[in-house]
Amino acid sequence: MSPAIPRSTRNAVGFFAILAAVGLVLPDYRLLVVNQYLFLAINVLALNFCLGLGGQISLAQGGMAGIGAYASVLAHSHFPHASVLLVPAVILGAFAFAAAISRPMERLGEGFLAMATLGVSLIFTNVVLTMGDVTGGSAGMMVDCRLYVPGLGPLSGDRTFFFLFLAVMACGCWIFAALKDSRPGRALLACKDDPLAASSCGIDRAALRSLSFGLGGAVSAMAGVLHAHYGGFINPEQYSLELSLKALLFLVIGGPGNLLRPLLAVLILEALMSGMQFLGDARTLAHGLLLTVALLAGYWRGVGRKPAAGRP
Amino acid sequence: MGAVPPVVIQYLAQIVNSGLALGSVYGLMAIGFALIFNSSRLINFAQGELLLIGGLTLQSLTQALHLPPAAALAAAALFGFVLGHALYASTLGVSINASPLRQLMLTVAASLCWQGVAIVVWGKNPVMLPQLLPLPPVRLGLLFFSQDTLTALALSASSVVFLSLFLHRTRTGRAIRAVSMNPVAASLQGVRPRSCHALTFALAGVLAAMAAMAVGPQTMLRYDMGLGLGLKGFVAASIGGYSSVSRVFWGGVVLGLAEAALVLLLSGELKETVTYALLIGLLVLSPREQESERPA
Repeated sequence: MSPAIPRSTRNAVGFFAILAAVGLVLPDYRLLVVNQYLFLAINVLALNFCLGLGGQISLAQGGMAGIGAYASVLAHSHFPHASVLLVPAVILGAFAFAAAISRPMERLGEGFLAMATLGVSLIFTNVVLTMGDVTGGSAGMMVDCRLYVPGLGPLSGDRTFFFLFLAVMACGCWIFAALKDSRPGRALLACKDDPLAASSCGIDRAALRSLSFGLGGAVSAMAGVLHAHYGGFINPEQYSLELSLKALLFLVIGGPGNLLRPLLAVLILEALMSGMQFLGDARTLAHGLLLTVALLAGYWRGVGRKPAAGRP
Repeated sequence: MGAVPPVVIQYLAQIVNSGLALGSVYGLMAIGFALIFNSSRLINFAQGELLLIGGLTLQSLTQALHLPPAAALAAAALFGFVLGHALYASTLGVSINASPLRQLMLTVAASLCWQGVAIVVWGKNPVMLPQLLPLPPVRLGLLFFSQDTLTALALSASSVVFLSLFLHRTRTGRAIRAVSMNPVAASLQGVRPRSCHALTFALAGVLAAMAAMAVGPQTMLRYDMGLGLGLKGFVAASIGGYSSVSRVFWGGVVLGLAEAALVLLLSGELKETVTYALLIGLLVLSPREQESERPA
């Protein structure tokens, strides 16, 4: 038998085929909810660039998505039909910004990096709140300009955006897989395993990690752009710290570095969590318990696999 | 040069008064943060929820029965101690060999759980904690200290003194410091690192309960206040440098004073922006060796 297609590729194709089928079958009002899951899933994927490849924790994902959303909306309000130029410009800008802020923060340890990037998210929220006359402050602002593609016209509709989100996710997955298999990708994994050894082998750790951090920022910003023009309304709350924390939680549950498992974890757990609406005020508690169980389940599975290794 | 106009002096007195009141709360949170971080290299995202649940429970207690100040203090400390142990048991205690990232996320999930408990039991409306240690307001020359400020200062200063004495003079306290410095060497000397981790969580719980008594009468207690206060504690601990109890506490006081000044000079949102920018700057600039792994 010929080893024609590697298993990981088969899995990925299957995953996206199933999702596409779901998108074709589900009625529009259901897609409204599913699109929110996809938005979160793309942010998890973005975080996977930082954490899964670069070994760098980040709580800036919410802020980066927000930067993408606000930048795109503000730019479109001046040049409504220039989406073809504006979206790439916003993405590039987000990449450059994320890469730039990653440089000085590169050498911070895990917990401190988490706090510093968390600061980035909070600063974003507060800047949006402070600049109320431009951004609408906490009341948010209506987005009345749609993404415009020459030849297709303005993009709208739940199903269109479902497939746009899906396309961005597939694209991100492809970049992730390609990068992981490349020389910089292997260098990044080396930095993750042993930063000191990697840099002593001549790897420019800071530069590589700013690449992975930048890519993560760009993917989040892309998700933010789509989300803003899809929802028709943006406020700082949609891109708050909660989004960053959720993305990190789901990534840790699915295992950083895995490509599909975190995305699957988002879709399944988010669906479960929105199924808990009937609990009313007890919802937050139930969410917390569910996430705790998911985290512990992953840990216990790992412990079961390598028994007695380093255990007292 | 002419004399300073009285309005400016009033402004300054106001800054000192409210800055000290908040600063001592930040200081207490910061010490809790630093205690846990030093002993187990874990950043505790649920620190603010310790304060929240401690304060809310105390509020329910005061409604149910009339507590004299000493009883209120004892009840708060005891409950904080138990709460800290519960937090340890549900996060680090069950995942001692897990990756630090998973442990960090467990504290995030725990903070969500406890927020959920607060919503279920006390609802989403802010709750007022009455002043349990009424001290008379004091005027010192140009400065003025309100009742809340004085109580906050008394609570935090005595906590700092007791904690320092405990850490330096008792066997258990020395064990905690030994584990913070080198867990392996400490365990070779017969110290059990795990019980020290648990004890630091419990102490953080006690400190958070004290902070709740100080902050409850100033700002009301609400289910979503935990994360913000916990973060301020972290910023304060970063200013103080994690090494000594008193310096970390001063970090909190400095942060409180700076915030009070910023609120009067700039807007509220800008204050937050400046605080977190300060945090990033401090983290990036402070010379610190890479975090070491924690041996279990």
